[in-house]
Amino acid sequence: MRTNVKEKTMSQTYKLTLTIRRYDPDGDKSWDQTYELEAGAILRFVDLFRRINVEQDATLTWVSSCEHGQCGSCSVQVNGRPMLACELLVENAVALFGTTRFRIEPVTVAPVVRDLVVDWEQAYERVHRAKPYVIRPIEPPPGVTELQISPKEIARYEDATRCINCFCCATACISTHRNFIGPNAAMASVVRLMDSREEEKDERLALLYSEEGVYRCHTSKACTHVCPKKIDVAHFIALAKEGAF
Amino acid sequence: MKANTISSRSGGWVMPLLEKVPFLSDSARSHGWHYVISWCHRISGVGLVVYLLIHIYTLSSLQTPAVYDGKMKLLAIPIVVFLAWLSCLPVVFHALNGGRLILYESFGSRNDETMVRWTFGLTALYAAVFGLLILLKNQNVSPFFFWLLFLLTALLAAYGVGARLWRSGHTLYWKLQRITGAFLLVAIPAHLMFSHLNPGVAHEAQAVILRMQSVFIKVVDILLAVSALYHAGYGLFSIGADYIRARSLRRLYTVAVAVVFAVFLFIALRLTVSV
Repeated sequence: MRTNVKEKTMSQTYKLTLTIRRYDPDGDKSWDQTYELEAGAILRFVDLFRRINVEQDATLTWVSSCEHGQCGSCSVQVNGRPMLACELLVENAVALFGTTRFRIEPVTVAPVVRDLVVDWEQAYERVHRAKPYVIRPIEPPPGVTELQISPKEIARYEDATRCINCFCCATACISTHRNFIGPNAAMASVVRLMDSREEEKDERLALLYSEEGVYRCHTSKACTHVCPKKIDVAHFIALAKEGAF
Repeated sequence: MKANTISSRSGGWVMPLLEKVPFLSDSARSHGWHYVISWCHRISGVGLVVYLLIHIYTLSSLQTPAVYDGKMKLLAIPIVVFLAWLSCLPVVFHALNGGRLILYESFGSRNDETMVRWTFGLTALYAAVFGLLILLKNQNVSPFFFWLLFLLTALLAAYGVGARLWRSGHTLYWKLQRITGAFLLVAIPAHLMFSHLNPGVAHEAQAVILRMQSVFIKVVDILLAVSALYHAGYGLFSIGADYIRARSLRRLYTVAVAVVFAVFLFIALRLTVSV
């Protein structure tokens, strides 16, 4: 019985219509292009892009590095929802949106380089500013050479350390990325505030309590909703609003 | 597949209905119901700013009672009565949802789904009671007793939020926005209800002027005007700060908002003191 179900899933195909937002930097031209293709249930959206490249249009440009949901480079908007194209299966997309027609657009956190590719360096600039590392470690006690974190302590922010900076949260945010440092960058700073090894609190709080910090967050929780890593991003930003540090 | 956990758990008959509304359900599917609620909060907030400014402008005609009475005659028209009832929905929704956000952001209350259910439930309850009072038209209550009760409650709510936030590193402007929000959460629904307990309470110039001559009521009105205008002004500033990228344009926008609200504050204070 289980084999039959599995076979049925494996053999099921969907007639898909993908409308992809294209951009040609040479002519500074944007347009929507529609592709029709038949695809199996467990194909991923990056597989669909690859098939379009091979079978229909070699000029369609997209990016994916690891294709295992770890690098975040394949983030795109599918029917308005920011998602990782390497994690989104056709059958899941059909179930989620209740349609076989999908509109694919690049994420909005940085200028588009071509088609679905954005300038990730510009997006990452915000994360760099948040300094997602220990800026000034505390002095270890005499006789101790390394700083240890207890399992109980790390449990408080372990979830947040799973962030891959795919910028899905920043794309979905009600505040947009215009003047907000972004949910992922803000969370990176909050994580280090929760880190007992970090002594530099003032610099982090200055960023979080600046005009591009937590005041731009309105707890719409879209960040939490779209996070491919299921991180409750809104919770970590709310800790900063609560004045927990 | 349900749009998110709120839709599947808070269920009842409201969410299945909402999930059939094309734009709302699409938005909820892509960004979550909290995102939709946030937009409702923002849109209702902008609507309330307009309402507040019109309200202050209308009240300013109290200095010429005949003009005020002429305007208030509109409130006897059934469709206007219905619109007056309808106006309580954005007011109470915005107030209660603001309370939910304060609990989430400043008091660490993470049971958000329950709070969302309470927000919608209490909004519906308030609307029902408010509608009943509009239909009855005959409730009489001592303004001093009514406002003593609600002013103390509102001040207590504001104090609770202020005590929680005061020592944090937030800017004073943001703290005041939250403190005024807590105050208004109680005071504005109370103000709305008081105005409709009896048509004569708010719709007859002489009755309003007589009430406003009490020092206590003057204090209440000034607190209401100051906190509502500050909260509204900061809300508008915050929206501009989200979306206006150019720093110079943002400053210009901030100054414009500050000037408009200062003018309306002056109108409100002059009216309260002079009547």
